[in-house]
Amino acid sequence: MRKPDLPLQYRLMVPLAVVLLAVMAYPLVFSAWISLHDYRLTRLADVQFRGWDNYLGLIENQQFWTAITNTMTFVVGAVSMEFVLGFALALLLHRVRRFQNFYRAILLSPMFITPIAVGLMFRFLLNIQLGVVPHYLNKIGIHVDWFGVDLALFSLMLIDTWQWTPFMLLMLLAGLESLPKAPFEAARVDGASAWLIFRRITLPMMRPVILVALIIRGLDAFKVFEYVYAITRGGPGDSTETILFHIYKVGFRFFRMGEAASMAYVLIVITLIIVTTLYWSMNRR
Amino acid sequence: MEYFQSLRTRTGNLFLESLLVVALVIVLFPFMWIFVTSLKPPDLVAVPNVWIFEISGVNWRSVLLESNIPQNIFNSLIVGIVTVVIALAVGCPAAYSFSRFKSTAATRFSILAAEMMPPAIMILPIFLLLYQLSLIDTLWGVILAHLTFVIPVVTWFLIGFFDEVPRELEDQAMIDGCTHFQAFYKVILPVVRPGLAAAAIFGFVLSWNDMFYALILTGGESKTLPVAIAGFWTFRGVEMGKMAVAILIAIVPVLIVSFFVQKHLVRGLGGGAVKF
Amino acid sequence: MKSFVKGAQVLALATAVSIGWASAGTAGSLNVIMEEVPDFDIVTKMTKQFEAANPGITVTFDAMPYDAMRDKILTSSLASKATYDVIIIDNPWMDEFSRAGYLAPLDDLIKSSAGYDFNDFVGPLREIGEVDGKIYGVPYYNYALGLIVRQDIFDAKGINVPTTLEGYVKTVKDLTGGGMYGAAMQPQRGYKIYEEWKNWLHATGGDLMDASGNVIINNAAAVKALEMYIDAYQTAAPKGSLNWGFDEALQAMATGQAATMLSYNWMLPTLNNPNGPAGKLAGKFKLYEVPGGEAVLGAWHWGIPRNASAKDDAWKFISWITSKAVDKERVIMGGAPIRISVINDPEVWEKGAGKSYFNTVLGILEDAKPLSSGDHAEELIEIVGTELSAAVSGQKTPHEALDDAAKGVMAANKK
Repeated sequence: MRKPDLPLQYRLMVPLAVVLLAVMAYPLVFSAWISLHDYRLTRLADVQFRGWDNYLGLIENQQFWTAITNTMTFVVGAVSMEFVLGFALALLLHRVRRFQNFYRAILLSPMFITPIAVGLMFRFLLNIQLGVVPHYLNKIGIHVDWFGVDLALFSLMLIDTWQWTPFMLLMLLAGLESLPKAPFEAARVDGASAWLIFRRITLPMMRPVILVALIIRGLDAFKVFEYVYAITRGGPGDSTETILFHIYKVGFRFFRMGEAASMAYVLIVITLIIVTTLYWSMNRR
Repeated sequence: MEYFQSLRTRTGNLFLESLLVVALVIVLFPFMWIFVTSLKPPDLVAVPNVWIFEISGVNWRSVLLESNIPQNIFNSLIVGIVTVVIALAVGCPAAYSFSRFKSTAATRFSILAAEMMPPAIMILPIFLLLYQLSLIDTLWGVILAHLTFVIPVVTWFLIGFFDEVPRELEDQAMIDGCTHFQAFYKVILPVVRPGLAAAAIFGFVLSWNDMFYALILTGGESKTLPVAIAGFWTFRGVEMGKMAVAILIAIVPVLIVSFFVQKHLVRGLGGGAVKF
Repeated sequence: MKSFVKGAQVLALATAVSIGWASAGTAGSLNVIMEEVPDFDIVTKMTKQFEAANPGITVTFDAMPYDAMRDKILTSSLASKATYDVIIIDNPWMDEFSRAGYLAPLDDLIKSSAGYDFNDFVGPLREIGEVDGKIYGVPYYNYALGLIVRQDIFDAKGINVPTTLEGYVKTVKDLTGGGMYGAAMQPQRGYKIYEEWKNWLHATGGDLMDASGNVIINNAAAVKALEMYIDAYQTAAPKGSLNWGFDEALQAMATGQAATMLSYNWMLPTLNNPNGPAGKLAGKFKLYEVPGGEAVLGAWHWGIPRNASAKDDAWKFISWITSKAVDKERVIMGGAPIRISVINDPEVWEKGAGKSYFNTVLGILEDAKPLSSGDHAEELIEIVGTELSAAVSGQKTPHEALDDAAKGVMAANKK
């Protein structure tokens, strides 16, 4: 038998490379091409080359930047809430041994429900006249307009937090469980307070896990679509217009694929910059 | 002194547990609400303060007997499972290679970067491609689309798992006469099994939850569960009662499975996937 | 690992079997795309008769939520051979789809069908299906808006149902109080607020564009309509209902929290159904023409894609389901009316929601105006609907919002 020329290192990567090329390379290249053209689904016979016009047009496109800002606010807000809550719950679950399986299974469950169902569910739960939550809040004298101008985006963040805190919990709990025991015991013997142990030992040792959890969740939160689609449709005004919803609208409702593709590419660049910065800044310390 | 300390930890633990119970209630409340809603007759679905009423089986009957929901769940299962199997099959060897041979943090990172491609940019070309292959409205189309985001995440997790396995294991196997590939296949893979399970579950959840691709790529018999659930939201109103049933049917099996797998999930992820 | 591989093989086999169905139509079968609404259920039930009468043709329906339809129709139209032989077309897509060349003209088919009586369709509905002098769609059902009121409340207070916009705003304010809101509105951004507010716009004599195509969405009439709308929202609509769409408004009516709403005329039978969402309140609702009398008209039309393979069979189905006799049966079963002869048929009154209901429906339909038209109809709805929402939520003044809407509409028309 002839020995294969390719070293094992690369041979092992061939399947991945082939599949990824097949499912990703073509769409990406084709989208790039589209983004340089006036590509409209209703006028495919007449596709004009536009050069960078689609991209330059975005500079003055107020709606696009509003959508980007909204999405960033959403990502930062939702992911930080999820992180804080997820970490707190992970620490709790790490300590409490009784009924641990039960707690875990329940607390992890929201992430298994498809987001569109979660969106529609909360649309009615939080509905100010028809929903249960405002109904009981009213009884104790709290009147909150969940989907008004000021709170709509925040309410969407809360919904995201309900659904995705379990993910943070899962990642961080896994991280906690795999930490070595020795440094903690040593610190306890030295009489360090719980807070000190947390700050000096737990946090530093958890840094890689935290980074991973934040990056994965952050990337996913950038794709928020279902809640907007199910509840606010981007309103009131522009206040909950997120970027994926906006791109979907321009591309699939107005059929201007060229413009939509250019937006998507700008989005890629922006996320790439953010994620790389985050990655390097946290990895360097 | 001993006694007081143990009392302190005991009350402390009680306090901690009560916090957990609060979290539990917040998580469970919406579930309880949809359960109650699923049993309400149509005229009470939108009334918030009614908890006692004559139980109606209308919603359950119409979803179980007259709708396609069971078929949709089956479709979602197939899509999720096939996607994950393919992702593991191609991701495993590559992840091993990334882990064992020289690879900088940047190359690993680039795997994850593939995950952040906005679905909006992928969907049209995928759509046109599938059209050429006449795979629109088949499950293969959705599987293809889901691979774009499941493969990167799964692979990336797997790299971490392989990192955790000491190199001595395959060195020993190779001394015993295995080729490097055999060592990977026969020795390393079984060791990372909990990790494989964790990655698989994770990939499955991503696929199971997706509506964006499935909305555009499936139709008729091939609709997946999220698309079908969105279908209860018609131009004539949200059929909350029926949707509640659909959500419950969809969530119960997942809940049961998650009860059994969560330990592996935590242990698997703890085995190293969560590190760079 | 071995068991894993084996498992994978079994699975692959199982899926190959279960995924393997093809969606392409074969000879003698018609593929029809439909929206999942009650009108669709009626059509499916009736289609069994069609299949019995035409043994060579089987009809397969692909039902889906509204938001998936536009993409599906589009992609079917981009292909060399259509997935669907029969499609339904929403009012805002009509001009766009026919000018993009997706649709086959139906004039000759209509002419060749004896006794079809195309002119029996209510005028404004018929006109939506005609683009640049050719017919591309025949009506399937209407969703013209009407004013639905709690008649018992009006009777108890001894007030008449208002016919002017000024009267309406005053009435809904008077009715508000004591746990009751005068109007359940639907100010959700985009489609919903646009659909509702345009009735108000008609009432003050405004429109999107004038007859010669000039954008007049920011003229005095429009500002007045928007100011009145905001006034009513702030004083007579449920608090915190900024994201409400049609569902919430309907449920507020059904649960007795609101006295009036602007909604689709065929919602009346639903509300008056004792087994429906209104429960005990059923029977207390009545339909009127919208204040000002010029309703917004939405409509679905049947159409045949240009690239469809079975055009003759497709027309056979469409002309059957919209024929006088079958349409009468459809309306009796609860379908939304489209034909004058059916609306005026005493048998329909008797078996349906009664004479006065059908008279009102005809009144609504006869002078209704399309929701939106032109090549960019879908986008215009979104642009104006966004600005309206910004105004109602207080982010912009009515003037600013409508000026921005006008700018947006002009820019979109140029694109």
